[in-house]
Amino acid sequence: MKRLIYLLIFMPLALMAQDQVLVSGTVVGDKDGMPVVGASVYVSSSMIGNQTDEKGILQGAMLGTTTDFDGNFELRVDPNIKSLVISYMGFESKTIQLGNNTQNLKINLKESSENLDEVIITGYQKIEKRKATSSYAKIDVSEIEQAGVATVDQMLTGQLPGVMVQPTTGAPGAPSKISIRGIATLNGSSDPLWVLDGIPLQGDDIPEDFRDKDNIDNLQSSPIAGLNPGDIESITVLKDASATSIYGARAANGVIVITSKKGKKGAMRINTNANVFVTQRPDFSKLNLMDSSQKVDFELYLAGRSDLTYQHNRGAVARILNNYNQYDIFQDNGFDAISSAAQNAINELRNVNTNWGKELYQMAVNQQYTLSISGGSENNDYYFSAGLFDEQGTTIGTGQKRFNITLKDNFSITDKLKVGVALFGSQNRTSSYITGADAYTNPAYYARHANPYLQLTDANGNYVYDPDLVERSDLNLNYNVLEERRNTDHEYKANSLKSIFNIDYDFNDDLKFSTQLGLQLDFNSTEKFSDRNSYYTRKYRQRSQYSVTGGYDYFMPEGGIIQNWNADVFQYNWKTTANYNTIFNKRHELDLMLGTEFRQNKNTEIHTKGFGFNSNTLTTIPITNELALENSLFDTYKKTYNENVFASFYGTASYTLDRKYTVFGSLRYDGSNLFGVNPKYRYLPIWSFAGSWNLDKEDFMANIPAIDVFKLRASYGVQGNIDKSTSPFVVGIYDNVSILPGTNEEVIRATNAPNPNLRWEKTTSSNIGFDMSLFNNRVFLTGDYYSRKSTDLIGLRSIPLENGYNFISTNWATVSNKGYELSINTTNINTPNFRWTSGLNISHNKSVVEDIEIPENNLKPSLKGYSVNAIFALKTAGLDSNGLPLFWQNGRKVTAVEFYNLEEGVDGSQLSREDHRNLYTYAGDGMPKFTGGFRNTFAYKQFDLRVLTNFNIKQTVRAEPTYNPTQAQPGSNYNTDILKAGTGKYPALIGANSPGFNTNLLYSWYNTYDAGNTYRDLDIWLKDISYIRISSIRLSYALPKKQLERLRISGLNFNLEARNMFVIGTDYDGYFDPETYGSLYAQPIPKIISAGFNLSL
Amino acid sequence: MKKLLYFFTLIIGLTSCNDYLEVEPVGQVIPKTVEDYRSFLTSAYSITNIGKILTSYRGDELRLNTNASGIEQYEDIFIWNDRNASPLTRAFPYASFYSIIFYCNHIIENQNNIEGDQNSIDQLVGEAYALRAMQYFELVNLYAKPYDNNATNDEPAVPIVTVYDAEKAYPKKSLEEVYSQILSDLEEAQALVNVNQQDEGLNYRFSKIAVLAFQARVALYQQNWEEAIAFSEEALSIRSDIQNLNDNASIMPSEYNSVESILALENVADLDLVTKSSISDDLIAAYDPESDLRFALYYEQYNDGRYHSKKSAQNKFKVSYRTSELYFIIAESLAHLNQTDSAKETLLDFAENRYTPSGFSAYQDFVNTLDNESLLTEILKERRREFAIEGHRWNDLRRTTQPEITKTYNGNSYTLEEGDERYTLLLPNDAIINNPDL
Repeated sequence: MKRLIYLLIFMPLALMAQDQVLVSGTVVGDKDGMPVVGASVYVSSSMIGNQTDEKGILQGAMLGTTTDFDGNFELRVDPNIKSLVISYMGFESKTIQLGNNTQNLKINLKESSENLDEVIITGYQKIEKRKATSSYAKIDVSEIEQAGVATVDQMLTGQLPGVMVQPTTGAPGAPSKISIRGIATLNGSSDPLWVLDGIPLQGDDIPEDFRDKDNIDNLQSSPIAGLNPGDIESITVLKDASATSIYGARAANGVIVITSKKGKKGAMRINTNANVFVTQRPDFSKLNLMDSSQKVDFELYLAGRSDLTYQHNRGAVARILNNYNQYDIFQDNGFDAISSAAQNAINELRNVNTNWGKELYQMAVNQQYTLSISGGSENNDYYFSAGLFDEQGTTIGTGQKRFNITLKDNFSITDKLKVGVALFGSQNRTSSYITGADAYTNPAYYARHANPYLQLTDANGNYVYDPDLVERSDLNLNYNVLEERRNTDHEYKANSLKSIFNIDYDFNDDLKFSTQLGLQLDFNSTEKFSDRNSYYTRKYRQRSQYSVTGGYDYFMPEGGIIQNWNADVFQYNWKTTANYNTIFNKRHELDLMLGTEFRQNKNTEIHTKGFGFNSNTLTTIPITNELALENSLFDTYKKTYNENVFASFYGTASYTLDRKYTVFGSLRYDGSNLFGVNPKYRYLPIWSFAGSWNLDKEDFMANIPAIDVFKLRASYGVQGNIDKSTSPFVVGIYDNVSILPGTNEEVIRATNAPNPNLRWEKTTSSNIGFDMSLFNNRVFLTGDYYSRKSTDLIGLRSIPLENGYNFISTNWATVSNKGYELSINTTNINTPNFRWTSGLNISHNKSVVEDIEIPENNLKPSLKGYSVNAIFALKTAGLDSNGLPLFWQNGRKVTAVEFYNLEEGVDGSQLSREDHRNLYTYAGDGMPKFTGGFRNTFAYKQFDLRVLTNFNIKQTVRAEPTYNPTQAQPGSNYNTDILKAGTGKYPALIGANSPGFNTNLLYSWYNTYDAGNTYRDLDIWLKDISYIRISSIRLSYALPKKQLERLRISGLNFNLEARNMFVIGTDYDGYFDPETYGSLYAQPIPKIISAGFNLSL
Repeated sequence: MKKLLYFFTLIIGLTSCNDYLEVEPVGQVIPKTVEDYRSFLTSAYSITNIGKILTSYRGDELRLNTNASGIEQYEDIFIWNDRNASPLTRAFPYASFYSIIFYCNHIIENQNNIEGDQNSIDQLVGEAYALRAMQYFELVNLYAKPYDNNATNDEPAVPIVTVYDAEKAYPKKSLEEVYSQILSDLEEAQALVNVNQQDEGLNYRFSKIAVLAFQARVALYQQNWEEAIAFSEEALSIRSDIQNLNDNASIMPSEYNSVESILALENVADLDLVTKSSISDDLIAAYDPESDLRFALYYEQYNDGRYHSKKSAQNKFKVSYRTSELYFIIAESLAHLNQTDSAKETLLDFAENRYTPSGFSAYQDFVNTLDNESLLTEILKERRREFAIEGHRWNDLRRTTQPEITKTYNGNSYTLEEGDERYTLLLPNDAIINNPDL
């Protein structure tokens, strides 16, 4: 295969070739003598050009190869060729002269000292590591690559210090929530900025409250959803102000720079990667739900208690008792007193145990393929790849399918002029289920509440509707999860084309220009379809009910509902920089950059709805009833459009003295279209300065041979942000209204309350850190301490309603984040046959809300003095003799009646808002105290074993109460906690007439008057979660050289990987995963076993 | 080096190029022209307000259907249980009045900056004054004691806002102050509004006749009888049509396209009012179904055997002022001025349009027997029949005798005493929470 391609490409060359000389040899590293695998060995075009003086032969520049697994290479060259170049990342390139002896050459490559080659790619500049002053973290994707993971964000979990990655749900294609160095805002997005090869990517924000029922089932695209991790070379995270300030206001939450793979100089490489991965069905028993027998007993218990009347006619037991007219008999005299027919019918229920885990979740076999072709010469390098990722989720009906094509080519037109093009095209299709507005039909939620004895189909295979999922006692719209899955569709299709075009022109060695244009075209479409026979459609139709003489009718036509959202995103980003780098007097290094950046994005979204949809004719039926005009649910068309433009000017300057001391400064002005915003805020200045000191270069360090590199860094910077939605003026949006029949008029609605006094949000950050390399680069240490303070944060403040608004955006809070990060990378054992390396990183971040203005009417305490995600709870002190909760108040145990200040006739006003706030005490931080990861790789001969873990230490999470003591109802299933009600920490089930002193008071409090829903805030629902997740164990085997030669291929690896198999830590009973503890709607994070191979030609 | 110079020139050129950043966002606007401001005011007109609907539950026109789903939203309004109302109870509007006032204030404040034809600007600003007056009038009639011409009216009513300032404190102003604000706004409106009558479909907007009708109503509520008559007569000089139900019973006289319509702005009924309640026995008994043509036009008997309102949620049922009301204002004022005969004449002139010919002659005979005091009572009774489920009743009860009302709900009996303090609503909780000065 390889030969065939070579033949086609090099045919013209081969024809010209005369007697060729065979060059062969081995490339090894000079320090350890280990073979260098994959080093490029090639004929430099300039050499050919120089030596043959024939222009045409420049094609010979393609001539080259790469070393195999033993560092060996073989190459046939024209006898005119007198030298070869050998290069590899992390080593200094070497040119060897070809003498008479051209065979079995032994080539020692010198390791580039202190990784001089390593540069930090900021997206604007490449900064040599030794001159770096900022805090960043970099990782090669090859180190963390995992099979069965669609996007690179998930792979980053626990891999980079200071970068917290949390999965939102286990659904295929679900984005991860990333926060870098804590959260510096109280209401804006905290997502970092993603940058691909210098181009900032545009994409949806991940909702702050991603556990919210409405957000979790919303399919959406993250900026990187279309990128195949296999096309990514490395990820660099920019963390402190001196690193991010060059990106302007958008970078306030940090920047993640993706560097994609490009062709290496040398012969063409063809690489195939194929994986089959099996996602396991989740362990449903983790949810601790009652089984049929327990549930029947529980329903009997409820029916036996005449004081518990909440929806007491629901549930199969109550229905049977009512059918046989035995409810009262049972209540008065117990189970033995009722008729045997009723007894049998009830006992029959115990024998039906619907396996909800099996009905809703599945094991799925999935696959993933990538094919890439890459190579290069002195003048040109190319990288082409195609990929397919196909995953079915563990929740039946969910899945993701992605196709990728990547084309990259860089070529030199002359020595000075270089041009590069890159195209990243993808289609990403995500499918899921439909949930209605109240999310009761979210499968994860439904499975928790559906009765275990409920059968899904009857003996004839007809759907059985859940008699307990009803809208009102007199309205059941017939829900069956199987029917719903069959008759509804929810698909999100993201077509994305990202293209980058750049031109670099070097005037001379010192002065370089570069201009880069990036285009991002995204077409995202969502389709939600629900057929006529579905609960979703029935429920929607219910909303079109209206009264006619003596009854009701519906204006929504019969048939399905089809809803489409088509979003069209266009973005261009054009930036131009001039770089001037010079060294004078051999000790002064100066690097200057000036640049401009223009960016525009346009976003169009069209949302259409069709009713009476017929899936055969694909047509809809118009709604003719005038009532539909007044109900926005039945609007059939809505278009939104917005456009933003940005113009920025920036510059950086860096000065290094004696290769020891570096000072750095940057300044950027960000301008944007600010409609109706105070013009004095049109251009935001963002600046930083920083310095570093390479201690290891000092004479006094020369005597400490253990230390190879020792560097100290410090930085300080200021970033600003303004709230674009608030204006000093009255700004309106257009709308249409019909006030009287027959007139439809354009109106201008005032949007937000104007606030002429609004100021910028400002964040100042400082960072100090060190980088250290010890014992011949076997130990790398990086540590950082930072402090970020955001002042004048914008939030909503309530204002007198007499203003015409409830809220106004105002500068109301100050938040600081302080934390430290440490990462250690070590080579523990390094022998020719065995190598063990590990990487550990750990981060700690603590946020403090230093100042905040809370509305007088807040029910919960102010965050002032606590962290942004502080959790407050009501401290309980066990139960009283009636099973009612006791509380701690001012150091003593009090009854609930005392605690809430209850008495006959109270309606909630017995507690002033301040009293209400004082019920709470601080219970913990909703953000983990420590996060991080631990990575180990072991290489033994042909085998490689890699173990990735990530950990989260001490995160306080509030779970949803497993039951409500005043609303325990027989129609729903529960966590087995409810069986313990009245014992331990679990409050007893009570009704209005339950026995016990003042029980009725607590009943009406929890049932009606507790406006702040304090029951949810009892500390019994809190948990401090700590865990270590073994996210990946991967074993791979590389075919030895002999076999490869026999197969005429350059590499073949087999790998087996197990993902998410174990979690060690505090228990997370009642939930599938510790990451989604407390979320009733999240899908389980899949456990995956994969097998695959990687073939290189 | 030359190229370098070009490059920097380019950068600097672009720096000054602020045009690049001038993007007028689609769908967003800062109102400038009179057309913009018209759309802005239409927005204010379109803010719906359920105050009139909710007061119907509070008065004596309805009976609640105990079993209707969602009846919790109305029961505490129905039985005047304000202090302990269920959290599900629908709230009387408060913020929405001030929301409309915000729009009006913005137009009034900027009247000199609006670009466009001066006549249109005057009309627009005049309407803004009238609409603002209307909000304050509705506010005080919900949340303050009725106006008493013989008293000082200095008890705190509601805050007055005429300029937007989120930093300012807003204490309550006295009833007298609010009424003088209303009167001065109406005078401004009368001076500026230059459209005599609005066309059908646009008659949610104020016109000269609508401002006059409003002034007449304010005068009536302030017991300024002569003024009430004068404003009414001036309004009637622009239009005095009454729909004769003997000739045309195809639509209700309160509908927006009836000949009587002066201003069709407020919602007076909704779907819940039609389905979750029925007309009270008391109100049904007020009609003679044989001779009163309104009975069949206003009500409909459902399968439950009860009569339900035909006025419902549709826009066509919106109404604020109509010519009939002017006749009633005149009749009532005349009666107060002891001009019994003229009052009778006005009432009968009107009533002829509502009864069958035989019914009318009987009614005529009856009215002619009345002395002044019983005539006044009869005018109010006729007024009740005419404006049933039109949002008048609660205010009429309040401003006249504040009689005792007894209702039965869910087997219990509830009484609103004569002159009960619950004839005035409590300010909603969210208003008090957001404004500590209330």
